[in-house]
Amino acid sequence: MEFDELCDKCEEWMQPYLDRELDDAERAEAENHLDGCGYCRKRYRFEESLRIFVRQVCSEEMPPALKQKLAALRTPL
Amino acid sequence: MSEVTPTEPQRLATDARDRVRFEEEALELSDQVYRVARRLVGSREEAEDLMQETYARAFRSWRSYTPGTNLRAWLLRILTNLNIDRGRRKQRSPEMQPLEEGDYFLYNRLEESSREPRSDQDAVVDRLSQDDVVAALSEVPHDFRDVIVLVDIGDFTYQDAAQILDIPIGTVMSRLHRGRRILKTALADQAVGG
Repeated sequence: MEFDELCDKCEEWMQPYLDRELDDAERAEAENHLDGCGYCRKRYRFEESLRIFVRQVCSEEMPPALKQKLAALRTPL
Repeated sequence: MSEVTPTEPQRLATDARDRVRFEEEALELSDQVYRVARRLVGSREEAEDLMQETYARAFRSWRSYTPGTNLRAWLLRILTNLNIDRGRRKQRSPEMQPLEEGDYFLYNRLEESSREPRSDQDAVVDRLSQDDVVAALSEVPHDFRDVIVLVDIGDFTYQDAAQILDIPIGTVMSRLHRGRRILKTALADQAVGG
């Protein structure tokens, strides 16, 4: 059983960690725990790859025609 | 008193130059703004309308932008306000089904549905399709989806997201947390059946 009380804190920090919103001390503590805890490491890796995947598949290119329409909205010189 | 007061033609020339620079910078960011806009609304047509309204307003009110501040966030603030004003948001109650398993839900469901235990986390995520993700995201109620889209797709900080949506940073964090849980629950339903 790898789970311990530090895993609770690690869980709480996971989202802000992946969002790069932890301060340096919190980040260091989280990384220190991740180094030694396979369970949390696995959870973090899953969340991180899910995050990357969501970003990739939800990123739709702007249609070129729209770009031209936006440029046409500029104030005439 | 000042002897360096610009003449009217000089003032107009400076004004025009600043405006042109603003418009160029705003247009350079349009791809990034569109990526966010596209996921805030349900269809490509809506996203295109919203983009045009946003840029028309931005070009009209360019003087209210403070140079040196985050222009992308400024544009997104206009866009999210327009999106709300136009009444596109059919608000649903944030009271959702209980989420007993919370953050573990999707992970557990994907692992359970796999015959062999997987150790490669990317492989677990690979079992999701683009359609699964897009459909699941559209199921997330607007208040929660807005913050997910700004932070996860737009790559905004919590602080930027708070300013764009005009809500406290604590609300950004709680909506993100809850929104991601809702997203993962919907993904689990999409990916391995409800």
